[in-house]
Amino acid sequence: MAEQNRNIRKEIKEKMQQEPLQVNLGKFVERYPVLRAAAMENAGDVEALREAIKKMKADTVNRIEEIADRFEAEATKRGVNVFRAANGEEVVRYILELAGRHGAKKVVKSKSMATEEIDLTRHLREHGFQVCESDMGEWIIDLAHHRPSHMVLPAIHLSRFQVSELFSKEMGREIQPDISYMIHSARDYLRKDFLNADIGITGANVGIAETGTIVLVTNEGNARFATTLPRIHVVLMGYEKLVPKITDAGLILRMLPRAATGQLLTSYTTLIGGPTPVMVQREGRWVEETREMHVILLDNNRLKAANDARFKEVYQCIRCGSCLNVCPVYGIVGGHVFGGHTYAGGIGAILTALISGMSDFEKFHELCIGCYRCTEVCPGKIDIPGLIEELRVRAVKEKGLPFITRQLFDNVMANRKVFHSLLRAASVAMKPLASGTNKTLIRHLPLFFSGLAKDRSLPAIAERPFRDRAADVIKRPENPIGRAAFFSGCTMDFVLPDTGESIVKVLQDVGYEVVFPMGQTCCGKPVSAMGDLETTRKIARINLEAFEQVQADVIISGCPTCVETLESYGELLKDDPKWRDTAAAFSAKVREFSSFVAGEYEKQGRMQKTTGGPSVTYHDSCHLKRVLGVYTEPRRLIEAAGCELREMKDPDKCCGMAGVFGLKYTELSMKILGQKMQNIKDTGAEIVACACSGCMVQIQGGLDKQVPNVRMKHVADILAESIERRKNNP
Amino acid sequence: MKKTSNDWRSHFAPGGYGVHLFPEFEKRAKDAATEVFRVKTPQEGADVVLELARSAGARKVVSVTSPLQQAAGIEAACKAAGIEFYGDRDSIAEHAPTADIGISGVEFGIAESGSVCQDVYAIESRLVSTLPPIHIVFLDSNLIVAGISDAFEIIAKVFDRGYVTLITGPSRTADIEVVLTIGVHGPIRLVVIAVDEKP
Repeated sequence: MAEQNRNIRKEIKEKMQQEPLQVNLGKFVERYPVLRAAAMENAGDVEALREAIKKMKADTVNRIEEIADRFEAEATKRGVNVFRAANGEEVVRYILELAGRHGAKKVVKSKSMATEEIDLTRHLREHGFQVCESDMGEWIIDLAHHRPSHMVLPAIHLSRFQVSELFSKEMGREIQPDISYMIHSARDYLRKDFLNADIGITGANVGIAETGTIVLVTNEGNARFATTLPRIHVVLMGYEKLVPKITDAGLILRMLPRAATGQLLTSYTTLIGGPTPVMVQREGRWVEETREMHVILLDNNRLKAANDARFKEVYQCIRCGSCLNVCPVYGIVGGHVFGGHTYAGGIGAILTALISGMSDFEKFHELCIGCYRCTEVCPGKIDIPGLIEELRVRAVKEKGLPFITRQLFDNVMANRKVFHSLLRAASVAMKPLASGTNKTLIRHLPLFFSGLAKDRSLPAIAERPFRDRAADVIKRPENPIGRAAFFSGCTMDFVLPDTGESIVKVLQDVGYEVVFPMGQTCCGKPVSAMGDLETTRKIARINLEAFEQVQADVIISGCPTCVETLESYGELLKDDPKWRDTAAAFSAKVREFSSFVAGEYEKQGRMQKTTGGPSVTYHDSCHLKRVLGVYTEPRRLIEAAGCELREMKDPDKCCGMAGVFGLKYTELSMKILGQKMQNIKDTGAEIVACACSGCMVQIQGGLDKQVPNVRMKHVADILAESIERRKNNP
Repeated sequence: MKKTSNDWRSHFAPGGYGVHLFPEFEKRAKDAATEVFRVKTPQEGADVVLELARSAGARKVVSVTSPLQQAAGIEAACKAAGIEFYGDRDSIAEHAPTADIGISGVEFGIAESGSVCQDVYAIESRLVSTLPPIHIVFLDSNLIVAGISDAFEIIAKVFDRGYVTLITGPSRTADIEVVLTIGVHGPIRLVVIAVDEKP
């Protein structure tokens, strides 16, 4: 059972010390991308396949009632009993009545998340049923009284030694911890449960409307047993599994096993349409009868989600678990921490919110760091981080923010002068801010307020912020080709003012006149990420006012998260008649620094590899690569600046910063950062570059403590230095 | 014997299948731990069965029939070798849980995944393909389709009601320490005997 009052930080600490979980999960997340890539080799155009799945599933949810009616009609026509259950209680009642009619007490189950969701096994046992979980992983966690920690590998958190103990106790003899021996012992031991069962309960991976058919995807063969030996077959299936046609199921099957386990197909892909024959013994003789087949369509708030313009997207999920397998946080803590009652990871947070409600969601949603890695692999192309943000917004709308956060947002974030004077005060004395009543403030303001720094030194607030230096560095070029307004963002303004200077120099070098509107403030991201759109709008208006006065052709930022946020002002203020047009015009002018400069270099014939610079490895900021789609441009600029580019392992894996997350879940953030440090070190490069001020702060902090001989630079710094070199040696 | 369709053959797309796809099928099937034997005649297939039974020390076989198996004379060959053979529905139900080998036929193979498509609407078909530790299937090596989508195009045409399984290798799990282990509930070995010559 999920804890009522969860202490996530404590849970993280415990899981990080659990050896079997760390070893097994570590092994799996390391191996998964390789397996997946190998399985995709003969899949044809993978992007086209993902697009086709997304489209088919999105079209289906738009007419889910019609598809469900068709499924019901076709299945019923073929002799299946179809029942639509509003919730778990109705499922349990239905099965109890069914079993009662047949005097059935023995149940064999194959793996089904829907049955986990409604605690079916527990309910049936409370009513005196013998229930056998026949999937090996499910059986193991059933013996251990655990919940699944992974959608596909539910017992990944246990070692062979723990399993050996569980098996020995259950089978009443010593089962040596040899994996193959253990599995074969379990095979023999469970066989009687299949042969004696009255009812087989399965889930369904797909439900096909045109023929009322269900599809089961398994590797162990247990679902084939459960649908062959017992005389009653019950299927429990959520509405999201429905598709219109058999060929649509084919589409899913080209992707599901490849994405789940890196298999081309699993050992058994089974289609069952209508009741099938069963052999039963009557007075000592074998006779063939017709198996009863029941399909229960489970709602449990799914239909409500289907009618929600934004959340119907979850119907694009095919339950492969690939989003978990690439998630940097899940890969360390597993599904017991990063998960709710049944479902784990980012998609699990969304499903939990929709199915179990917001209070379960609120306990762990912060573990999604919004790195968007999952969106690169999701077969249904679900915007998992985007949906989580939307849930946060809805939670705030419903319940409001905690009082102190509310005060802080209203009184500090929505008022530039107060906010900036606090930042200045911090440069003089960070300590008073980091103690006592101001702790909450530290947690919710941009992260340079924190004092926790074991493996990472935290950046000092610069003595002179960029805004005080702007006048010194801004020099209008002769015959400028345009006017660029610089949006620094808080980090570049108050922590990395040198990089701010580099940005100005580079823009001037390509021929732009640069202006820095002094009235600018935070982009609003720390506030919108907490779900508070009202304060975000106030912040947006402050910035719009500041930039309206300078009449720029483009608005440049060297922080991808700021870029995204500024680009969203048009949408954010679309219902504000006074600011709507200004906001839209503003957003249309926003450009990300590195891609903008790359474009200019290209136009001016400067995008050529040169030599003479240091060796550099490049870290992809999550948002720059996956949200803004920029990853070749910074690399080419680094080479154009004369540097030798050395790729690191997993250059696009999150550095562990992720805003508030990096502060609140320090151990976890440090572990992710540690992996990044190792990968940087392995390249032997002198410099690590990126094009994101947030990543710079995190990586710089890690370098100081762990790899002091490597320096961190923004692509702008590298370009500015090469311009300097060129000036000195023309 | 009950089947999902009695006429799979006429639903293959013209030119969409053939023995030229066999090498790819064989490679993918072996990658999935399937044992593949390609033979010219059904009789050679019977020799493979007997050799497998001998090396596995098998004493009891349950089998549903298919044209290839009939041409191979599997029943007579097993009985001549002193192996118990059960081929009718009731005796299969009785003996499948204790048989060493199950034998059946499949409709076609899929090159992309190395899978075989089996029509197992009949209960006896499923008993022979699930319960014994070794499952041997006879496949016409000319009936290989290229991809999973091609397989579903065919299934879409023949499937109205019934039970069809695409089998890809023996049963397996990675549920303990993510270590791949062959042979869980379903067969521990899957053997494909691919016959070139039409019966």
